[in-house]
Amino acid sequence: MLRLGISKVLSGAKIQHVAVVSRAASDIAKKPEKIEVFIDDKSVMVEPGTTVLQAAAQIGVEIPRFCYHERLAVAGNCRMCLVEVEKSPKPVAACAMPVMKGWRIKTDSEMTKRAREGVMEFLLVNHPLDCPICDQGGECDLQDQSMAFGSDRSRFTDIDFSGKRAVEDKDIGPLIKTIMTRCIHCTRCIRFASEVAGVDDLGTTGRGSDMQIGTYVEKFFMSEMSGNVIDLCPVGALTSKPYSFTARPWEIRKVDSIDVLDAVGSNIVVSTRTGEVLRILPRTNEEINEEWLSDKSRFAYDALKRQRLVTPMVKGCDGQLKPVDWEAALLTVAKAMNQAGNKIGAIAGGLTDAEALVSLKDLLNRLGSENLCTEHTFPMDGCATDLRSTYLLNNKIAPVEEADFILLVGANPRLEAPLLNSRIRKGYIHNETDIAVLGPKTDMRYDYEHLGEDPSALNQIASGSHPLAAKLKKAKKPLIIVGADAMARADGGAIRTAAMKLSQELQSNIVDGEWKVLNILHKVAGQVAALDLGYSAGVEKIRNADGIKVLFLLGADEGTISRDDLPKDCFVVYQGHHGDHGASIADAILPGAAYTEKQATYVNTEGRAQQTLVAVTPPGQAKEDWKIIRALSEILGSKLPYDNLDQVRYRLEEVAPHLTRYGAAENANYFKQALAISTMAKGNISNSPLDVKQKKLEDFFMTDAISRASPTMAKCVAAVKKHMESKY
Amino acid sequence: MASILRQLTRTIRSPIVQNRVVASSNGLRFKTTAPAEPKEETRPTVRKFDPAQREQLKDFGQYVAECMPKYVQKVQLTAGDELEVLIAPDGIVPILQFLKDHHNCQFTNLTDIAGMDVPSRQFRFEIIYNMLSVRFNSRIRVKTYTDELTPIDSCNDVYKAANWYEREIWDMYGVFFANHPDLRRILTDYGFEGHPFRRDFPLTGYVEVRYDDEKKRVVIEPLELAQEFRKFELAAPWEQFPNFRNAPAASEEIPIKDEEK
Amino acid sequence: MAQQAVKTLRQVKPLLSLDQGQARSRVLNLYKAWYRQLPYIVHKYDIPKSIGDCKNKLREEFLKHKDLTDVRVIDMLVIKGQMELKETVNIWKQKGHIMTFFKDTEEPKPTDFLSKFLTNTN
Repeated sequence: MLRLGISKVLSGAKIQHVAVVSRAASDIAKKPEKIEVFIDDKSVMVEPGTTVLQAAAQIGVEIPRFCYHERLAVAGNCRMCLVEVEKSPKPVAACAMPVMKGWRIKTDSEMTKRAREGVMEFLLVNHPLDCPICDQGGECDLQDQSMAFGSDRSRFTDIDFSGKRAVEDKDIGPLIKTIMTRCIHCTRCIRFASEVAGVDDLGTTGRGSDMQIGTYVEKFFMSEMSGNVIDLCPVGALTSKPYSFTARPWEIRKVDSIDVLDAVGSNIVVSTRTGEVLRILPRTNEEINEEWLSDKSRFAYDALKRQRLVTPMVKGCDGQLKPVDWEAALLTVAKAMNQAGNKIGAIAGGLTDAEALVSLKDLLNRLGSENLCTEHTFPMDGCATDLRSTYLLNNKIAPVEEADFILLVGANPRLEAPLLNSRIRKGYIHNETDIAVLGPKTDMRYDYEHLGEDPSALNQIASGSHPLAAKLKKAKKPLIIVGADAMARADGGAIRTAAMKLSQELQSNIVDGEWKVLNILHKVAGQVAALDLGYSAGVEKIRNADGIKVLFLLGADEGTISRDDLPKDCFVVYQGHHGDHGASIADAILPGAAYTEKQATYVNTEGRAQQTLVAVTPPGQAKEDWKIIRALSEILGSKLPYDNLDQVRYRLEEVAPHLTRYGAAENANYFKQALAISTMAKGNISNSPLDVKQKKLEDFFMTDAISRASPTMAKCVAAVKKHMESKY
Repeated sequence: MASILRQLTRTIRSPIVQNRVVASSNGLRFKTTAPAEPKEETRPTVRKFDPAQREQLKDFGQYVAECMPKYVQKVQLTAGDELEVLIAPDGIVPILQFLKDHHNCQFTNLTDIAGMDVPSRQFRFEIIYNMLSVRFNSRIRVKTYTDELTPIDSCNDVYKAANWYEREIWDMYGVFFANHPDLRRILTDYGFEGHPFRRDFPLTGYVEVRYDDEKKRVVIEPLELAQEFRKFELAAPWEQFPNFRNAPAASEEIPIKDEEK
Repeated sequence: MAQQAVKTLRQVKPLLSLDQGQARSRVLNLYKAWYRQLPYIVHKYDIPKSIGDCKNKLREEFLKHKDLTDVRVIDMLVIKGQMELKETVNIWKQKGHIMTFFKDTEEPKPTDFLSKFLTNTN
């Protein structure tokens, strides 16, 4: 918390404040009267029930704390936030004490200072002096606060030579390293595990100086968001295992970026040193990921150094790929493309950015081909992807926690979008949201009503014959979230039409005009941008097109198309960053840049455009993707009219203006019209049960070219499997 | 020694003080206009200074301002007990001459001349003269200002020591010293372009120098950086705590008596 | 209006010249001084350039600043030019310093997209 800027702390306080107001306003019309308190003799008006700490934050007075965290329940056990209140005999804990009218709080008085010094001294008596070998060193709250508030001399003398308190380290998995002697028992990790992650694995045993934090029995801390306890831990008790002993915080460069390993588009900070990504941390964005990050996004970065394509390659006469220079590679590809005429197809994978997508589309259109599609399937019948409202998470991520009824159709948000799931869970805990699931039974860390796996239940609910229908219709803020796996089915269009019909019905009951019932949850970061730019979803188009001579794979690695689907003489070009399925079937390889190596636009499942920034340069001869396509176009003789990023972005803006409005999620509309068009399409929901690809936690870790190449992710899968076999 | 200085300044000042006493009902004129005296320094990590010495420096500063009212714009104490006289650029020679030769000053040793560049100011360069009076064991700092094109008078005739210092400032900042006997570069290479201490001069410079085996000579070429630019985070984590925000001011002004008032 | 105009005009201390004419004659003098020294420079430094090359280079260096109008800026350049001349004539410089004017080892940077792409400079 010390490292947050004051403005950030203030804005956080403001948001909370607003939330309080809005809730109060919806419940009762009248606003509660504000009360006046004095902090260091400065007057501040606050809502009743505000704690001393929040009131102080409102005027920019920061009170030190260890256990208090804005997003977790108040524990009040570290005592670091003690402050003096006039006429109170004892100092009070600022994080837990609500202010009373007219209180005069002194955050800088002698009593407060002595209280802090005393607390620091007690904490440090039981804390090892291993800062030089501690991974938290330099970003440690205990270090910072002992500098700011601690005593400048020690009274600790070990007269019995018995040593300091020591605690056995726990093995809680391949991601989190524990050095429990350093623990100061703030219980942030316990509260995070039970409140946010929903995995009640951590707890305390013992009392007094025998108190320990742990899992009680030997087991792993198995959550898809477990890495967040590393950020939460104010000391070096929980640190990142892959990052251990790698670097100090003051020697690394931090670049703000966007995560692309799921469709949520979490905001991240990429830490680099000497051209190497050292770690990835979350960046606060209240509208998307709050301050959490899923484990895949946080720990898959080690794949950015492995299995990389670093040089252009062309298949020689012996059928082996041989490294060549850019000129030779581009000439070979251009020759094949020139011979193919307009019999060219392209498939874009899930990690592709909007700049590369638009340049590839422009290039192929110039060559007379319309065979552009994305690797991930989405219904192309009915109104297809003409209207944005049919493929976006229309209601946005943040309001999910306000919903009072959520129907999940063929989705497993826990594994497909862990941060969306944390919002659902938040609503479940604080708002008593009812959740119903249509699809396979999976563990989502909250209770839900299981409606079976038959997709036709959607029609029953819509017609009112289903027992759930009445409840759903009574809901004030219902949400229907349709998963990408349900959309990928052959009858995806019909499922979508049914969902649209149902949501249209529910929509009419809703007072809140901004509330949108229909939501689609994507699994990959590149899909929405591709659909926005007019790519057709699914590789059927390529399979059905006859006599494709050149197939351009732009990071398509899921193996949805194989050599058998293509004519024998088809020349396959793969452009991407990892040697995965796409590279294995290619005749020519053009090495591209991964998401940490380019400034690129990604659109998340809400339709919010965000951009990554260059943290490191691409390895070897790899280049930014749009530049490769631009260079290829010039060699082909149909030069694309952009030479720099601004010009590409200008072109993006021409095609779809929202793609360059970074940070903003454009609202999608025309729900009625979309439904009207969709109902015209034929096709019925089949009886085959709804299924999702990711069912268990082990399915979570390796889902794309990057995470498949990550050794840490492989360790996670092994650990989860091992954990499943253990008796706990 | 310092007491002599003090006595001398007192005697010179006294008639004015008496006038004021008559004019105003408040006898303690200096107490009322002077800024609130800082409390005695108690922080263990901060250097302590002698209040008596401060008082002397203050008096002396006012004395200098009274003697050279045309040029002295401001007198201040920095870091507790360092006297600074801020003057107009035209007055550099008279002021230095005064400080060197006046019986009560005798700052005979020019310790150093420094430059400072603040590009946002109208006159972006500050020229700072540090002087030592061996006679009174006292130091003084004289500051003036200029821009890229306004020449400053060389004080080479006052202090011979200024020769190289002024050459250095010419070389590093590009401030031209008029009437300097031998103004030329002193630190940079012949043919070097630019002035390295200017804030708009990049840390890495513009050119790189290497020996060319083919040409059998040293060649100078535009810089190509292979190493990434290093960025450091300088914010201290506890800056947000109020204690660390209200640090005492770096300098405190000494009021100059204004005869017109 | 007149007062405003006066306000925006700043009284400045001259560097050397008081008006455009003086500055012009200073520049011409400097040019002539360099021009006369060129044969000796070529000879003493033993540079692989003819006197004609050097004359062209001298002209080029002066013409770089042909659009300057501020007297003080011109003066400053004249001062620096004189210092440069002194360094050159006194043979304080070395051959490499003189040859720097000709930039004969610098390779031109690619300007169009494709060659930048292929030479790895973008």
